[in-house]
Amino acid sequence: MADAAAAAAVPGDAPGGTTVLDSLGEDITRIVYPVSACMLLVVLLVSLLSSPSSPSPLSASIAAATGGVSGGGDDDIPTALITALTFVVAVTAATFLLALLFYLRCTPCLRAYLGFSALAVLLVLGGQVALLLLSRLRFPLDAVSFALLLPNAAGALALAALAPASVPIALHQAALVAIAVLTAFWFTLLPEWTTWALLVAMAIYDLAAVLLPGGPLRVLLELAIQRNEEIPALVYEARPVDPRHGRNWRLWREGRQPGADLDDSSTVEVIGEVLGRNLQANSGNSSSSQVHEAATLAGDVSNSRPRVTLVAALSSSDSTVAQVGEVSALQEHRVAVAEMSVPLIQPRPQRSGEEVVEDEDGIGLSSSGAIKLGLGDFIFYSVLVGRAAMYDYMTVYACYLAIIAGLGITLLLLAFFRKALPALPVSIALGIVFYVLTRTLLEEFVVQCSTKLLMF
Amino acid sequence: MTLAAGLGYALIALGPAFSLFAGVVARKPFLVLTLLSSTLFWLISLIVLSGIWRGFLPIKSGAWWAYAILILTSVALQEGTRLVFWRLYKKMEEMLDAFADRISKPRLSLTDKMLISLAGGLGHGVAHAVFFCLSLLTPAFGRATFYIETCSKMPFFLASALIALGFLVIHTFSMIIAFNAYDERKKSDQVFVPVIHLAAAVMTLINLAPGGCLIGTPLLLVMAALTLQHCWRVACQRLTEHRHQQHNSN
Repeated sequence: MADAAAAAAVPGDAPGGTTVLDSLGEDITRIVYPVSACMLLVVLLVSLLSSPSSPSPLSASIAAATGGVSGGGDDDIPTALITALTFVVAVTAATFLLALLFYLRCTPCLRAYLGFSALAVLLVLGGQVALLLLSRLRFPLDAVSFALLLPNAAGALALAALAPASVPIALHQAALVAIAVLTAFWFTLLPEWTTWALLVAMAIYDLAAVLLPGGPLRVLLELAIQRNEEIPALVYEARPVDPRHGRNWRLWREGRQPGADLDDSSTVEVIGEVLGRNLQANSGNSSSSQVHEAATLAGDVSNSRPRVTLVAALSSSDSTVAQVGEVSALQEHRVAVAEMSVPLIQPRPQRSGEEVVEDEDGIGLSSSGAIKLGLGDFIFYSVLVGRAAMYDYMTVYACYLAIIAGLGITLLLLAFFRKALPALPVSIALGIVFYVLTRTLLEEFVVQCSTKLLMF
Repeated sequence: MTLAAGLGYALIALGPAFSLFAGVVARKPFLVLTLLSSTLFWLISLIVLSGIWRGFLPIKSGAWWAYAILILTSVALQEGTRLVFWRLYKKMEEMLDAFADRISKPRLSLTDKMLISLAGGLGHGVAHAVFFCLSLLTPAFGRATFYIETCSKMPFFLASALIALGFLVIHTFSMIIAFNAYDERKKSDQVFVPVIHLAAAVMTLINLAPGGCLIGTPLLLVMAALTLQHCWRVACQRLTEHRHQQHNSN
């Protein structure tokens, strides 16, 4: 026994041996990849379709040299602040309304609302983006085919986004990312100061709504926990996309020996373990009599840690997923609910303001331990990066790194505090700081050096 | 420049980085996170540097000594960042080892440590290539290309892509050498890394002279090859030493 342990402890490069490094951090990368993909798509759309509002000197000079036209039009700060404030007030009101509906157990209303908004985004916004792309790329497509393809695609994607149990998970995740991309692209069309004011306002709102005791999202969350129900909303859950890795489909366990089957692919657990949080939990582990199974995907058994309770489906009529998390009486960590709904209303006064998209904010852990990130976070991250793309690509790279760093910090905090946290404030704050620093300090310096071919 | 040419230049600068990423780093998620964090570090050091130098820009084109001071300070700051990165890596290694012990899995092996330093170096190199080369490349799609006065024989983007490639190799592999040297406390290697970095950066000063880029760029690539060869030697040596140790203990 001793020498086996010693042999295992010697750092060897035996080809068959797996070390901790093999799967550590997998769940973080499974969130980072979709967020990066969403941001990349928005940057591509912005660079193809929008004319920059205030281009950087470099882009402006290049555009002037090749005969392009740089866009103009400035908006002032007071208007921006008023618009942002109106938007936040509208969002707060809508979230309270949602909380009220949830309280009155009006679930069909909520689901219908969700379906309608997803379909509206995909059909109307998606259609307009498609038309813009077609005209920009001069792609030959006739009106009849377009009229046939668009509603079909929109309907299929909306269904995929809303009913994850009936479609392959990759399609479900792709549909969610598509909705986020389209909404984010629309937000980047706002004037510049309005966009920044909106981002700051939403970050502050997110912070207040999730953490303050009277905040709408917190109210919603507590209702959901009390009732063991899931709020029907659009949330991205980082499940494994690749079914090859058998150990990622976690089977549900009866009890848990301390430290024995810690899943080292869950970074949140690792961090918690390292910080010593799991010790209290393991000592007071209750029996798992409260745990039931619930079917999540076709034929899969969803995982539940013994501290989390699952309850069966929300309503028998729909076939959608209804996993539920509940904190068991003895432990307080592993709160498994992070879904909140934040309807977004288009703030542009010229538009008729008819579209309301329902999505979510906040980051948390699902009952299977995978990280969940609300679609609202995807949207606002991409709005920041898209707006940075309208200036110059250097700001895009800097803001991308800042947002990913903010996401990492939020995940660390999540592992530390073990409850639902707002994902917007840290990333948006870092993103704005890096944008300002890049635009004022970095760009001059780097352009000076690299145009003289001076690098270090 | 046209789309094909632009893509070609981007691949010259970043092709090896892509293949390293796809072949080595993407297999282990932790390495992806290491890459992202080291890119962030490099960016922060660059922002600090530009903050320091912002008051002195724009530098008059005749004053090459100002550029020399700029390069000296930049290299000094970046080597300092490397040390800070190493300290953080040591803390991370302790935490990971403690975690591995707790779940009774083997600790970090030597290859793992080298992979982490590779990912760290690749992060630095990718950040360099992206900020110095790619950010100028992407707005310039369209008609015509760009030449600068001091380098009238090579398109500007080609020269910048080649230099970025050289520096990518230097950053990536000198990180492995540096981590190895800090670990084994080998003074010669610890000095080798900053010296190579400084030499390569000073070599780009040659580009300021008219026609200099035709000399400077190949020399830089020679330095990159030198770094690569040294790293190969260091890694082989360490691994064979390690295997001997293992055989002796078993």
